[in-house]
Amino acid sequence: MSMNFSEFKRLLGADPRNEDPEFRRACQSSPEFEQEALDAALFEEKLERAVALPEPAGLVEELLLISQQPAASPRRSRLLKFALAASLFVAVGAAGIVWKMNPGWDSVEDYLVDHYRHDGVSLLTRTDEVSTADVQNILAELDIQASPALADIVGVIKYCPTPDGKGVHMILNTGSGPVTVFYMPDTEVKDRQTLAFDDVEAVLVELQSGSAAIIGPNAEEFSSLQALIYDSLLPLPGNS
Amino acid sequence: MNTEAGRQATFTQLAQTYGTDLYRYAMWICGNDALAKDLVQETFLRAWKALDKLKDNKAVKSWLITILRREYARTFERKVPKFTDVDSVVVPEDSELEPEEQTEMRLLRQGIMKLAPKYREPLLMQVVLGYSCQEISEALDVSKSAVMTQLFRAREQLKSQLRKDGVTGNVHELF
Repeated sequence: MSMNFSEFKRLLGADPRNEDPEFRRACQSSPEFEQEALDAALFEEKLERAVALPEPAGLVEELLLISQQPAASPRRSRLLKFALAASLFVAVGAAGIVWKMNPGWDSVEDYLVDHYRHDGVSLLTRTDEVSTADVQNILAELDIQASPALADIVGVIKYCPTPDGKGVHMILNTGSGPVTVFYMPDTEVKDRQTLAFDDVEAVLVELQSGSAAIIGPNAEEFSSLQALIYDSLLPLPGNS
Repeated sequence: MNTEAGRQATFTQLAQTYGTDLYRYAMWICGNDALAKDLVQETFLRAWKALDKLKDNKAVKSWLITILRREYARTFERKVPKFTDVDSVVVPEDSELEPEEQTEMRLLRQGIMKLAPKYREPLLMQVVLGYSCQEISEALDVSKSAVMTQLFRAREQLKSQLRKDGVTGNVHELF
């Protein structure tokens, strides 16, 4: 029994690589079917290319370590703790950070370092055209508004995960160069804390609503920026 | 798998054969490079611990995917990360493409990230992991007919999204 075109399109859309003999015959049963099959094959090539992310350097080698060190878990997050122990200093001690534990990160510091290493550097070099409206629209989804003074210096803005849900990753164009800010609307930070990792320094600060991590080459230059952020990121009216 | 050397050899083969595919799959479902690597690490860690329970080598891929999906659900069942910047991971691979093709790739990747999970996951199982509709049906515990509908709709949505994102005209002309 021959296949009608509608059924053929459905099968083609579900599985363009289908090797069923009847289906393959249908692919060549008329010019219309043939063209549809050709288009589907071309689309599939694009799709396969789009999802074929490059193999991360060292992934397999890291996996193989698992079988060579049976007693120790090689989880990256645990390795990260050792790396942090070696490179991270806490400038302000005593009162710490309060956060709701997230299954993905053991602490806000863990999150901060993990996040920055993920895309912190690559976003610093990105050149977006961000309007004040873009900034306001993105922050509004978190029930936050930004003052024009802050919105005007935002060079990049995107949603990002935080230890407690959705937040915002921003690059601010300051007089001393681009500075990264992670805005964390639902993460509580008590007292200003400074830490350093890789070649950057970061401060974690409580804001009028939520908290933020400010990251750049020199934390000593953050005081005026911290004040600007504190005064500029405010709950939308009716959400305070 | 009676000897330690045998276990290691089996594990090495698994890591070399499936490590990258699992990373790609994890990357597409969680949208975060570092977390995808963590998921793959955790998957293989669990696989290493349970390697002696593996009786059917033909089922190893499904076994690994099942572990990874459970780990993903366990880790992110409450808060799913919202990273969607896969372009930062794939740009170097695309440098050989013409600018128009790079744009198509970017739009296509954005479209994949915008797909609802019920469409995205079976599509990735098929395209990234090479699963058949029957294998997807078993992995996701839904009927084969439902899987085929989801796959069809996933592709239709991607084509539609590409048109909406600025590529006009017949989608046939685009590809």
